[in-house]
Parts: sequence; C-alpha cells; structure tokens
Amino acid sequence: MKTTTIRNRACKRKLVRRLISGCLLFMPMAVHASQQTPTIKLFPTTVLEEIKHTGNVAAEMETGLQAVITRLDEQQTLYMESKCEGNEGDPGCEQIARQMGKSYLEMLTVMGDKLPEMETAVNSTSSSLEKRIRRELGQKKTSWSLQELLVGEQSESGKNADKPVLRGRSGMRLSDRFHQYYKLVARSGGEVNSSLAVVASDIYLDMQETSSLIARTREEISRATLMEQLNQSFGTITPEMQEVVAGVKSILFGEEEALTPMTAPPASQPEQGYESPLKL
Amino acid sequence: MNKSTTSIVTATLAVAAMATALAACNSNPPKATACSLPEGPDLGRAISAARFDLETGCEHQFDQYFQHLLTIAEGDPKKDNKASFSEFLIWANEEGLLSKRQARETYTRYFGVKYVSLVSDYSVCDQTCPRQEEVMREMNRELVDKEQGLLKVSADRREYYRANRLFQETELVLEATCEACGPNE
Repeated sequence: MKTTTIRNRACKRKLVRRLISGCLLFMPMAVHASQQTPTIKLFPTTVLEEIKHTGNVAAEMETGLQAVITRLDEQQTLYMESKCEGNEGDPGCEQIARQMGKSYLEMLTVMGDKLPEMETAVNSTSSSLEKRIRRELGQKKTSWSLQELLVGEQSESGKNADKPVLRGRSGMRLSDRFHQYYKLVARSGGEVNSSLAVVASDIYLDMQETSSLIARTREEISRATLMEQLNQSFGTITPEMQEVVAGVKSILFGEEEALTPMTAPPASQPEQGYESPLKL
Repeated sequence: MNKSTTSIVTATLAVAAMATALAACNSNPPKATACSLPEGPDLGRAISAARFDLETGCEHQFDQYFQHLLTIAEGDPKKDNKASFSEFLIWANEEGLLSKRQARETYTRYFGVKYVSLVSDYSVCDQTCPRQEEVMREMNRELVDKEQGLLKVSADRREYYRANRLFQETELVLEATCEACGPNE
C-alpha cells in the first residue's frame, strides 16, 4: 500500500541524508580548525563553540537513530527469512510488520524530538558563519586577493593531493569520511592543508541547505507519523518505510559509490616550471 | 624664347625622373602588406615570420597572429613553448604593439594559473557579487584558454590541474560569499 507521495519520501530521505552526513562533519572540523593558525578569522572561538554544539546534537541524533536502525535491520532480516513477502496475510508476518512499524515510528519520534534543537543550532551556526564570511571574504577581499588566498593555500597543499572533497559528501561512505577527518586531525601538528575559506564556504552552504530541509521535514514528520499509526492497524510494511529505512542505513553504514574529483592530480612529481617575467 | 624652351625641357626631364622612380618602387612592394599568417610546424620560424609582419604593417592583426602561433605550437607541445610565448609577448610590448598590462594579462590568460577575469579594485561584495554569473562565465572561457595554453601548447598537466581546481574553489567560495553578502541593491 503506497501511502505517501514521491515528493514526501524524497524530502525525508534527503533530510536524513543531510542531517547525518552534513552535521556530523562539525566535530572533527572544529578540532581541525582550532589547531591551525588561520590567516583569516573565519573560525573564532564563538563559531567553534557553535559548531561543536551542533556536532553534539547531531551525534545524539545519530546514536538514537543507529539503535533503531539496528533493530529495524534485524526485523527486516526476520521478515525476509520468514518468507513474508507476498504472504502478508499470515498472522506471524503481520506481527513482524507491526513491530517494524513501531520501530519506524520510533525513528520518526527521535527525529521529531531532535529536529527543533538541531534547527536552532544549525541556524545559529549558519548565522555566525555568514557574518564571518561576509566580513573576512566579502568586504576585506577583492576577487583578485581572494584568488591569491586560494592559490596560496593550493600551493601549500600541492604536495598533498588527498585532501577531502567536501562538496557532495552526502553520497560518500560515512566511515570513509570519518577516516578523512581523522587523518586531517592527526596531521594537524604541522601539515594541515585544507583551505579555511573553502571549508567555511562549504559548511555555510550546507547549513543553508540543511536549515531549509529541517524546516520542511518538521512539517512532514507529524503527517508521516499519523499515516504510520494508521498503518499499524493493518500491519503493513509500506514502500515509504522501506525506502526511508534504506536511506538511513546507507548513511550510517555506507554506500558503495565513492565520489571522485573532476580532475585528478597528475602522477608525475612536480617540476620546477618556467617562470615568465610576465606572470601575474 | 630660348629660355622658355629650356624650362620646358627641364620640367619634362623632372617628370620623367619621378615616373621612373615610382616605377622602380612598384617593382619591389613591401612584403608585409600581404599579412599572411606564417606556415609550417616550426614555432621558432613562425614567430620570426610573425615578428617581421607585425613590425611592417600588420600590427592590427596581432590577435590573429597570436592565435595562429598557439595553433602551430599545439603540434609540438612542450614546456619550453611557454618561454617562447613569453619572449614573443615581451617583444610585442617593446615594439609598442601591446601595453605591459596587456602582455601580462595575455600571458596569464593562457599560461598562468590565476584568472585575469578576477582582476578587480573593490570588494567582493561590492564589485564581484553583483556580476557573479558573468564573472563565472568569463572564468569558464578563460579556463578554455588555459586548456589550450597549459595543456595543448605547454603539456603542463600539473599547472592546468591547479587552474581547474582554482576554478572550482573560486566558484564555491564566491557562491558562499555572495550568499553571505546578501541581495544586491
């Protein structure tokens, strides 16, 4: 029984994806940023504190969701092993389906409980970053000096081409992302290379998007909860449930696909290139 | 009467001498008036031929000559080509064909990592954000020129990779910064 529109499912899946993968970014980034000596003041203590708080809220949400997801996974396995697909009228299968529905409701409840706090934290962080980016990059820099800032950071990081690809991280395995952050933090003693301007821009744009998705999804959760409560009386697993659960699992336990940058650095070692007196 | 006849003869001779001189000039017209783009695969020879033409009347076709030289250089891509084009542009500046700024910007446009499309005097919020899309389009066109200069002419993949990465980072940072700057008034 299909109970929701495609838009609703897509919205929810996108939110879950964004919330988990986007916001868990903050904790390691805060550590990383605090250990670097910034040339531009994009991450003062106040912003770092807000990022840390948002990261904590995201971590709590992840913990709560992970427990429910594990249970849902076990229930799904039981459902499949019991050959319940196509045999929905069986009383045992109905019972398993109702248990899955309860777990699904619990997942929606966790999200519903945490989203308001998450929304406040995200909006606060976004606002602080916005002010910093406006002042440090928008008002203090010309487009040429901004470019020089980026080129400078590029050349410093030229020997390490393995810095994380930040944009589009939602499709990346969570474990890989954590691994990248770990490496960043571990190397922060002397060789951290990420451009603060790029990192700040990336986080800020993600915050803007996440904030918008949270607002939209908060409106959807109460309706989805009501629909699932109705489904409980039939003991049915809906396509919506399966898709949302699959989406959450893909974030927590990872996907096969990995993002690759548009271009890769050449394999050859850097050479001392020709320097023209005309070079700007 | 005799005096008058002498004057006529003298004038006739003078006209004849001028006509002879003009005919002599017409038999040796300056080569530069043809303004034919250099041929052949050798970049050095092509640059020499281009220099000759450009200093003898073809300076108005500088852009065509420059583009043609790039095309010739694509036939034998190597890092030394950067130096050849740099010297050519310095020569063009010394000859008064280009200002120093034009020479620098032309070199950077094709052989540099930075983008001359981003040259500006005022803040990002005030000058760049109101024309953000236009700036990105200009950068995109410049990236195509860098592909020709850095990749096809100079075979310098590393520098082209840096230019490409700079394009992507600039796009991201400009998007965030212009969002933070707020709506343009």
